[in-house]
Amino acid sequence: MAAATFAPARRVRNARGANVSKLVIGFAGMTHLGLNSAVAAAERGFQTICFDPDPSVIAKLNSGSLPIVEPMLPQLIEKNRSRIRFTSVKSDLKRSDVVYIAADVPTDDRGESDLAGIRALIDSVTSQLNDKAILVILCQVPPGFTRSLGLPLERLYYQVETLVFGNAVERALHPERIIVGCAAPRRPLAESYRQFLSAFECPVLPMGFESAELAKIAINCCLVASVSVANTLAELSERIGADWSEVAPALRLDKRIGAYSYLNPGLGLAGGNLERDLATVLRLAQETGSEAGVIEAFVRNSRHRRDWVLRTLHSEVLAAKPHALLGVLGLAYKENTHSVKNSPALALIKHLQNCSLRIFDPAVSSQAAKHPSAKGCDSALEAAKGVDALVIMTPWPAFREIKPVDLAKTMVGRTVIDPYRVIDANAAVSAGLDYFTLGMPGLRAKKKKAASA
Amino acid sequence: MLEHLNPNPLKPSRVVIIGAGGFVGGTISKKLAAKAVNTLALTRKELDLLTVSAAAKLQEILQPGDSVVMVSAVAPAKTVPDLMLNLKMAEAVCNALATATIAQLVYISSDAVYADDANPVNERSYCAPSTVHGMMHAARELMLRSSTEAPFTALRPTLIYGAADFHNGYGPNRFRRQAAKGEPITLFGEGEEKRDHVAIEDVATLAALVLEHRSVGVLNVATGVSTSFHDIAHMTAALFPNKVVVKSVPRQGARPHLTHRFFDVTDCIKAFPDFHYTPLDKGLLLAKQAEEKRNHG
Repeated sequence: MAAATFAPARRVRNARGANVSKLVIGFAGMTHLGLNSAVAAAERGFQTICFDPDPSVIAKLNSGSLPIVEPMLPQLIEKNRSRIRFTSVKSDLKRSDVVYIAADVPTDDRGESDLAGIRALIDSVTSQLNDKAILVILCQVPPGFTRSLGLPLERLYYQVETLVFGNAVERALHPERIIVGCAAPRRPLAESYRQFLSAFECPVLPMGFESAELAKIAINCCLVASVSVANTLAELSERIGADWSEVAPALRLDKRIGAYSYLNPGLGLAGGNLERDLATVLRLAQETGSEAGVIEAFVRNSRHRRDWVLRTLHSEVLAAKPHALLGVLGLAYKENTHSVKNSPALALIKHLQNCSLRIFDPAVSSQAAKHPSAKGCDSALEAAKGVDALVIMTPWPAFREIKPVDLAKTMVGRTVIDPYRVIDANAAVSAGLDYFTLGMPGLRAKKKKAASA
Repeated sequence: MLEHLNPNPLKPSRVVIIGAGGFVGGTISKKLAAKAVNTLALTRKELDLLTVSAAAKLQEILQPGDSVVMVSAVAPAKTVPDLMLNLKMAEAVCNALATATIAQLVYISSDAVYADDANPVNERSYCAPSTVHGMMHAARELMLRSSTEAPFTALRPTLIYGAADFHNGYGPNRFRRQAAKGEPITLFGEGEEKRDHVAIEDVATLAALVLEHRSVGVLNVATGVSTSFHDIAHMTAALFPNKVVVKSVPRQGARPHLTHRFFDVTDCIKAFPDFHYTPLDKGLLLAKQAEEKRNHG
């Protein structure tokens, strides 16, 4: 547990009414969340202190070597280099007016959070804060966590993070709204914190700690609900001859559903954060006797859809050729990220031990597959060379450039399994490929008629 | 999800099959013999589980390191007395296992243990039997699992068909026999219920795989393809050279609440990636040929 009081201040930097750009914002924990949030603060014009207790992490950041892949992140770090200070010296945080605890909280295979690291980080940082500094918990914590810290409530806040892998910088720079958990939501926010948040020019919603902590989970539950509906009806579409890609746009035009709703079918939940929040709801429901059967159904549906490619491969290819050579495009759990947390590709590969693989991912080494007969390739087309079937497991933008006719020329087999519709279905069939995707029945190439005698 | 204690298959030192005189036990016994596995096939003649001395006799038979397959049952168990007989049989096996040091216990259970509304059924579906037969298997699974420290596997087959099945249950076996006699194939109502039917040879193959891998856990034995009785009737009729009539007869009583049952067989794919179920059309043909061979051989 953290210390009950913050350390005495050496000095107070911020004054009421000061220019916001004079504020110094600290971020503790240079993982995905911390790094993107810090860069967004710098881009908004604030001096930013980026602390991580691991000197090797800081050394890499100072040398320009980023541990994560995010669009625009390297460019923004370079652009704002004069406002960003990477440091492993925790006392450097004393200059901060607002300090975010911004390290990602790891999860286990069941989606359970390991909070030990974050508690240790909070303990370490609070002893370094000046006596006016505001502490904000930004990381993924369960309801009840912030209040349980026992820190001075008038300077303690929880802020909901809505990081999206592959779009993290954009979302950190332009949040739709900022949800703030407070001990006393009816009182004005601390001035330095208010000034910092105002720079993002979006609604700020103060609420109680527990409400804010639950709001983050609620957002993710709603996203999962949409995805689960899409996945359920996409599977039905595959079996009744409908095409979910024709249905989804009609839903997006319904104001009650919305243009940005998560309606693209996928291979179950991945990345760790959504799974974490479902696990938290299930745990809390069990502890409190709340009915949470719908959440269990989300988890079940996710597990079911994750194996769609495996089932399709078996029925279309492996039943006839159990030791097939397969091309795998994409290992990351989604496009524009290096993360393989709960990656559907890795889950698939685990059950293809009797096959040989040719693998390509623009950001992830083929060694992540940990497969005894996997060959890493330098391009998508090279990975497709000579394979009996090709599976496109991550919808990287670059894969959209693949021409089906080129695949047909380089592949030995005819089966392309493309859950995310990266390549054009009709072009694939025209090129002589059998094409399988989520949300519609498989399309088979027309067999060429034998030449008449 | 099954866990394989032998990632690479190893021949068991000896497999003791309790209930080898029946349709399922007999086929498993033949499958193991064909794979040159040392097998002790116990029929009711060698071991009647309803006798007072059954447990002691089985204790004498079992050797350290044996793998045991428990198939014996009074099936289908439709009444409470049937249920009690089956539990008594299982009790004898449990008593014998209490002092035995065996390598593995495999129980041939049933998909009847699952709730009627489980759909698609997988190995994590709720067990909430609605029939005496289903409750019998659920209870026996629990009894057997808690009576041994050996690795325990429950195989839960769905509707099994094959030439040697002396039961003449509604479905492929009855349809085939009706057609062979030149009689019409009779459907209840329109026969629209879709069910998964598995060939007995596939049940035996999976039992052998589970023994070779010393797999622990639960595995459904179902193909993943469900077909209506209507379609099965017509597929069966098409196997015979003479025209076979398929006719509907009114259902007796109300239409069953459960009209369809599907299986998600992903766990089987993961456990045994090289195993593939016999497609229904091929399985129906093989069963017909096997029955003709039995009748004329």
